[in-house]
Amino acid sequence: MTHSRVRLLGAGVAMMLALFMAACGGGNIGTTGGSTAKTLKVGLVTDTGGLNDKSFNHLAALGLSKAASTGNICSSLTCQGQLGVQGDVVESHANSDYVPNLTNYAQKGYDLVIGVGFLMAESIGTVSGQFPNIHFAIIDGTGTDANGNDLKHSNVAGLLFKEQDAGALVGTIAGVLEKSGADPKKSNTIGSVGGIKIPPVDHYIAGYQWAAKLADPGIKLLNGYSNNFSDPTKCAGVADDQIAHGADILFQVAGGCGNGVLTEAGKSNLYSIGVDADQKDVDKSVIASALKRVDVATFDAIKSVKDGSFKGGITTFGLDNDGVGYQADNLALPADVMAALTDITAKIKSGALTPDSTVP
Amino acid sequence: MNALKDVLQLLVTPGVWHATLQAGALLLLPALGGVISERSGVVNIAMEGMMLTGAFFAVVIDLAAHNVLLAVLGAMVAGGLMALIHAVVSIRYRADQIVSGVAINIFAAGVTVFLLNRFYGLSDVGQVPARDALPNVTVPLLSDVPFLGKIFFSQNIMVYVAVVLLIAIQVLLFRTRLGLRIRAVGEHPQAADTAGINVYLLRYGAVASSGLLSGLAGAFLAIGVSNTFVPGMTDGRGYIALAAMIFGKWTPVGALVACLIFGFGQAVYDANSSIRISQYLLSMTPYLLTLIVLAAVVRRSSPPAADGIPYVPGAE
Amino acid sequence: MAAAAKRSARRGPPPTVFRRAGRALGIPLGSVGLAFLAGAVIVTVTGGNPILAYQALICGGFGLVCFGGEQPALQISNTIVFLTPLIMAGIAVALPFRAGMFNIGAEGQLIMGAIAATTVGIHLGGWPAFALLPLVLIAGSLAGAAWGGIVGLLKAVTGAHEVVTTIMLNFVAQWFLRFLIIGGPLQLPHGNSRSSPISHSAVLPTLLPHDNSVIVFGLPASVYRAHTGLIVALAAAAFFAFLLWRTSLGYEIRAVGQSQRAARYGGISVRRTLVVTMLIAGAFAGLAGAVQIAGVDHNLTDQYFTDTTGFDAIAVALLGLNSAVGIILAATLFGALHGGGSVMQSDAGVSGNLVYMLQALILFSIAANFLRSVQLRLPGVGRTPLTPEADAAAAALAQEVDQSAAADDKGIA
Repeated sequence: MTHSRVRLLGAGVAMMLALFMAACGGGNIGTTGGSTAKTLKVGLVTDTGGLNDKSFNHLAALGLSKAASTGNICSSLTCQGQLGVQGDVVESHANSDYVPNLTNYAQKGYDLVIGVGFLMAESIGTVSGQFPNIHFAIIDGTGTDANGNDLKHSNVAGLLFKEQDAGALVGTIAGVLEKSGADPKKSNTIGSVGGIKIPPVDHYIAGYQWAAKLADPGIKLLNGYSNNFSDPTKCAGVADDQIAHGADILFQVAGGCGNGVLTEAGKSNLYSIGVDADQKDVDKSVIASALKRVDVATFDAIKSVKDGSFKGGITTFGLDNDGVGYQADNLALPADVMAALTDITAKIKSGALTPDSTVP
Repeated sequence: MNALKDVLQLLVTPGVWHATLQAGALLLLPALGGVISERSGVVNIAMEGMMLTGAFFAVVIDLAAHNVLLAVLGAMVAGGLMALIHAVVSIRYRADQIVSGVAINIFAAGVTVFLLNRFYGLSDVGQVPARDALPNVTVPLLSDVPFLGKIFFSQNIMVYVAVVLLIAIQVLLFRTRLGLRIRAVGEHPQAADTAGINVYLLRYGAVASSGLLSGLAGAFLAIGVSNTFVPGMTDGRGYIALAAMIFGKWTPVGALVACLIFGFGQAVYDANSSIRISQYLLSMTPYLLTLIVLAAVVRRSSPPAADGIPYVPGAE
Repeated sequence: MAAAAKRSARRGPPPTVFRRAGRALGIPLGSVGLAFLAGAVIVTVTGGNPILAYQALICGGFGLVCFGGEQPALQISNTIVFLTPLIMAGIAVALPFRAGMFNIGAEGQLIMGAIAATTVGIHLGGWPAFALLPLVLIAGSLAGAAWGGIVGLLKAVTGAHEVVTTIMLNFVAQWFLRFLIIGGPLQLPHGNSRSSPISHSAVLPTLLPHDNSVIVFGLPASVYRAHTGLIVALAAAAFFAFLLWRTSLGYEIRAVGQSQRAARYGGISVRRTLVVTMLIAGAFAGLAGAVQIAGVDHNLTDQYFTDTTGFDAIAVALLGLNSAVGIILAATLFGALHGGGSVMQSDAGVSGNLVYMLQALILFSIAANFLRSVQLRLPGVGRTPLTPEADAAAAALAQEVDQSAAADDKGIA
């Protein structure tokens, strides 16, 4: 094609597009709410793990879908409409998307903007300050400044979880299995694979290691990080190394990436433990999952906005208020494990024992 | 010190070498493709995109048809088609081959996620069940050899395939008539044309081969290692393969050495659970090593003489 | 080629500036148009509404014809934020292209610049703004220059191929970043994979006052993140053009890019030129990193590990035909596409990844037109000056082919 022809074609296309834009731009193509009864609009911004990481972000989306009857969340999940809100979700692909995504919903006047993830703390802090009349909620964090200090904005509800409680439960399972020799390789070695070394991840791991050592003082603990929350290949690599060093029960704390841990364990017929949501169906090797009821917390936050009881500040979800827990999956847990679980649950709830929350 | 002890301890366990071989094989396949393509005179920096496309279609086909062989073939075809786009643009339209390569990589990144969203909604593909994945092969008897057995004879089937292809392509390029013609086309297309060799056909074939190999690598990654598709999962491996090819002086065996070095780096990083050195410093080693070798050994990298120059009959 | 001959045969007044500009813009513009047409086909075929999709794209990119409730000024501001570093990174790729080198290392150079900027911004935090801010930018440029200089030096002294060295250095930079901010010296206390923030006096001020109480277009002014780094970027582009066309160094760079042999005969030191080119290119990329830190992020996070600015810059440089004005326009297009993509996703339900396909299609159309219209000769990845050894190897190979062909004939006969 010669220059002039390409140029003409280009000009023609540009003109056509311009005409179409002018014709259609004037009218109101999309309606954004505004029916007779005011529908609450809730916006959810995920972190880079993606909507279907089968844990973290997925749970928040689940909570939203339970509450929503319209909105783009309903094209990804089944909406139950229990609160009749409009639920929209946007996935962040990089840290640099957090502020623009949050601002997008805030600027459109959504009634509640939910950020999922500790890494969004500063972004929530910034945007909540710019839009004091919009309600914000953040899972696993509070609105902070650049130094990580809680700005204590009254329009921000920080939903924190005591992941170490859940970690302790699954750590007990692992420890008792190793002690009694019911583990696949009888190696007395267990592993954990974290995503990025951030507090929520380390809480889980700390509780896990603490409880495992409690149940089996001679146990060998391996811990590694993939530095990634979305690519299973990276977690598979770390898992492989731990397996090569004898670990036969692997706890994944890496969201979507961590699914690679579960499949690697399955390939070697070992045991694995899921995180945040019930990951029973990800792989047959999953014997239990540490639960973090993010879906419940999300739903409750939306409910509080709907019935006007929204309050800024921190709410902590732990074993004592059923905010975390565990789920037995593809293995019938033996009696000694169940007994140990009952025992430690009672002790944590009563405050007699407190799991570690930091990893050395 | 502790750190040194950890590293030495790591080096004497088969695990890290096993991982090295796997990671190296994953890099070797696209590198071999690059070698063939560039030996014929077509610059190919699109291995990343072709590999990603192969990975995507491997998973999609495997999930739909539950047939590993079909999935692998599909992946190769997908990679080959991407390569053909590059071939047509570069050979027929004599476009700048770097632009075309860059465009393929961008296009692949976009189209895979675009189709992902179309087929599966927001970013979920699901897991490929183990029975539909590329299996690990444990060679009986040989795999019981202490240390070496676990490393060489207990790998994913694709590792063995890569070794076979390595030998085959090395022989092909340097000991067969076809290989001679491919290289002639890349060094002196004018002379080759005069001698009656079809320059265009050979170049098309070479570029297509690079697509097939990269697609195969994509299948390995997607249904041999990860058992799922994640946007961008190739993660720069295509570019590392490119570097390996150049570092290896456009020979298959040379590329192998480089791929093993990079594979080792990957394996060491994954072993961060057992080493008390910063995993981040450790990860730099293969790249620093390569730089040091490049700095210490004065070597002009001589690619095929006609590499990157579109062939115009009678133009010289 | 026939058309060109016809044109030269046609008599008439020499083309005006406008006509020349139009002709220069014609190919990229036509390529963009073709790409958008192909994109519309893709959208339609996969069940979407192309009109809606492009309308959303234009809304997100330029703040026009918005229908989903987006605030137009905010969209424009976001686009500016995206395109600012792309201009400088684009130059970092374009300048070596002019010299015949392929700088895939812009990303690594950018990261090193960001690291240096953050370090200076934190540790010299007490200094007043008029001193600290320039220092931050200079530190970033110097770090980037060093990173690029390594590549140039290795190429000049040992002949190491810049594609290999830049890719290696990219990875080293990425891991160095992680080393620093995850459990390392630059990490914010209380462990969370980011650095401490830079001091306030190291911040590049936003174009609008950074104040929640000032309302601009219905939103608090601090929402608009477009910053004075844009001015830095435009100045950098002007400097690039000046360097390339009005200095002797620029002449040497272009000469080396055309033909190293000819340049050498003309008395230009090819090695020196290559090294200097990579130094300057690295400086531009490092500046881009510093501007990102000082203007937008204000701290170093793990996001820089997966940042793609340096790679997007390759496309920007190519689309911009390695010229200052072209790069600015290309960066604007890419920045607009980036912003437009998310609006397209949320308002028109079309996957944001259409944007990448559009970028690729634009590049393809440009590539297919390249050889006929543009004088530029981009370096082949493998292209090096014809050395006597390479010449000899090629000749030997040709002989071998002849012999084998002769043997063939004999066999047939």
